[in-house]
Amino acid sequence: MTEFVWRLPSRGDGRRADPGLRGRGGFGPPAPPLETTDVRAGRFGPFDDLAQIVDAAELNGFDGVLAPYDPLGEESWIVAAAALRATRYTRVTVEFQPAFGTPVYAAKISATLQRHSAGRLNWRLAVDTDDAEARTRGDRVTGDERYDRAAEFLTVARGVWNENEVGAAGFAGTGFDYAGRHYDVIDGGFRGILSGLPFPAVHLSGTSSAALALSAAHGDVHLFAEQTAGIAAAVTELGERAAAESRRVRVGLELPIIARETEDEAWARVHRQWDELDRPGTAADHALGDGRWAGFDAFGYDQPIGLVGSYEQVAQQLSAYRAAGVQTFVLSGHPNIEEIHRAGEHLLFLADPAGRTLTTGQELIA
Amino acid sequence: MTIDVYWRIGMEGDHASLRTPRRYNRGNAGGYGPGNIAPAIREGALDQYSYLDHVAAVAKASESAGFLGGLLPSFPVTDDPWAVAAALAAETTTYRFMVAFQPGFLHPVQAARMSASLQRATGGRLVYNIISGGGGPAQLWWGDKVSHDDRYARTSEFLDVLRGVWDGEPFDHDGRFFATEGAALPPGLAGQPFPEVYFSGSSGAAVAAAGRHADYYLSWLAPYADLRAKFDGVRRNAEITGRTPKFAVRIDIVARHTEEAAWAEIEKGWAFVDRDAANRAAQGDSVGAARITGWVPETITGYRDLEVQPNVWCGFSLIRGGPAFGLVGSYEQVAQRLDELIDLGVDAFILAGNPHLEEAYRVGEEVLPLLGRSRLTTPSTDSVLATAR
Repeated sequence: MTEFVWRLPSRGDGRRADPGLRGRGGFGPPAPPLETTDVRAGRFGPFDDLAQIVDAAELNGFDGVLAPYDPLGEESWIVAAAALRATRYTRVTVEFQPAFGTPVYAAKISATLQRHSAGRLNWRLAVDTDDAEARTRGDRVTGDERYDRAAEFLTVARGVWNENEVGAAGFAGTGFDYAGRHYDVIDGGFRGILSGLPFPAVHLSGTSSAALALSAAHGDVHLFAEQTAGIAAAVTELGERAAAESRRVRVGLELPIIARETEDEAWARVHRQWDELDRPGTAADHALGDGRWAGFDAFGYDQPIGLVGSYEQVAQQLSAYRAAGVQTFVLSGHPNIEEIHRAGEHLLFLADPAGRTLTTGQELIA
Repeated sequence: MTIDVYWRIGMEGDHASLRTPRRYNRGNAGGYGPGNIAPAIREGALDQYSYLDHVAAVAKASESAGFLGGLLPSFPVTDDPWAVAAALAAETTTYRFMVAFQPGFLHPVQAARMSASLQRATGGRLVYNIISGGGGPAQLWWGDKVSHDDRYARTSEFLDVLRGVWDGEPFDHDGRFFATEGAALPPGLAGQPFPEVYFSGSSGAAVAAAGRHADYYLSWLAPYADLRAKFDGVRRNAEITGRTPKFAVRIDIVARHTEEAAWAEIEKGWAFVDRDAANRAAQGDSVGAARITGWVPETITGYRDLEVQPNVWCGFSLIRGGPAFGLVGSYEQVAQRLDELIDLGVDAFILAGNPHLEEAYRVGEEVLPLLGRSRLTTPSTDSVLATAR
């Protein structure tokens, strides 16, 4: 089944093109004083907006949500824990930088989240962050060595994690020892209530040789961002590297989308948003001509290239990606609640009819 | 004077009472079986509830019973308090989450971000319980080889960096354990209240570090003379740094309508005593744990041998995991013992009892209203009645 994941906002939300003007969730400019009586004062917080977005993703049939690593926004573990608590089916991907703490502690927090969510937590490692961001964390590991450290991190985390249940025995471990360049563990290993849980599905990203090698050896899902020339070559390389390790890695793609009832309506929104920003050129300059538009970064998205079109057109493009091997889509759009409803009600069942429509016989029983 | 009273939450599961010390049937820490709740067995299969659902019930019970919040402890065998606090933030309104954690396992900039987001999620209800580690095999299990005194130096440095980045101004630090260049909380997260710091540790190194950072110096219960000496040491140390720490004590309570009924509860638990439990707790390099082991006599003829002063009993670690000392007595006696601790300089309590949910209501309804009554000089009933009329 094709998996659809929604990327959660980390710095507020709203309908404006400029991310700095999106006031939902307590980010953006200060709220103007109201003439009307405001019942929200002091009783409505930043996380109430995030909770409604998570709720919308759950009710609209998304398979998962992604809590992004954003040093300038809400912290992803806090967002992820709240999202898991508020949902029954949604898988929650927490993105974090491996050097945020020790792999044992990451595993420990995750074991609690797995216990209480029936195993719905995924990991996404943000290995390749910018240098200034790394220095704020006192992290002086640079270049490809960051991928070596991530490999150590995942080795230790998997090493202490026991997917088969092990009886509790005081503070004793289960004999896992590790002495690496970055981490040291002696007689580690989870027992009791922390054992017998599924290890989070590991999501990775990047197109460098080191990034693809890490996924081939340690990743469960590799998330690509669309390129002007497409992602086929990188997908092929990932597949070959994984095969050499006797492994398979699921292919994912991150895409901002603007889908409307008609193609004209979708493009009208793009142009309206573009005109709100003081930018050179026109939105049309960034059209790639095939329903892909390369100006999403202007609206604050992480990826420049996404899809614009009617529901049918966008669904067809998603199906084409699927035929090319993409099994997971990480979609994004703002304002989030409204766009989640559009995707859930008009798009997902068109893009993945096998997994999201009932047969006539099933409908009769339902 | 206001006293902050917290009620501990069991992160390791809970049992129906002290009478069944090895039967953790709340949550799955003790396995699954008849009489288990969260998860329970329904129609022959596990239901969809988890121990977190029971933890939520304890948090809400503590809130409605009048507690300020709860301590969420952290051990290698328990759930993680950051995860639980974030999960339950939206389900409580006034409940303060006292998150226990060891500074070595997260980078302080990461801890600052998590804390600020949690402050935003809860409306400022996060409290820190900083623990620097019990040492021994458990520390190595965590992947932590730093020695005892250095762990407190690390804790100190950790809190320096965490405070340094909190207000949103770029902060530089290049220390023994942590470094940061230009880190700051982003404007969207900055400006939250800094969490109150509860700080634990009995050694000289711990007391020195507490002098610099603790809002509340937190101790397990001990015989009152020992506690007084310990607090005096902390006060002397704090004078050097010009700070005035407050004091908090973590206490297990068995309170009943009569003293006899309270001891009868202990007697029932005593039938299952596990002497090995006390010895296990004494591993590692914890100075506090070693002191308590010294109070347990080599030969014990009965549970009352462990009553080291009136209503102060040091046998709790023999009938359930955790610290040894607690209070046993009638509601009035327990309230009086707590009042005496307040007179000794205590500003906050972390109380606990098994089962955590029902005992939260009992202590909240029967003991807390009696606090401070021994210090009232004249009953003010006349004026209250006059105002009412």
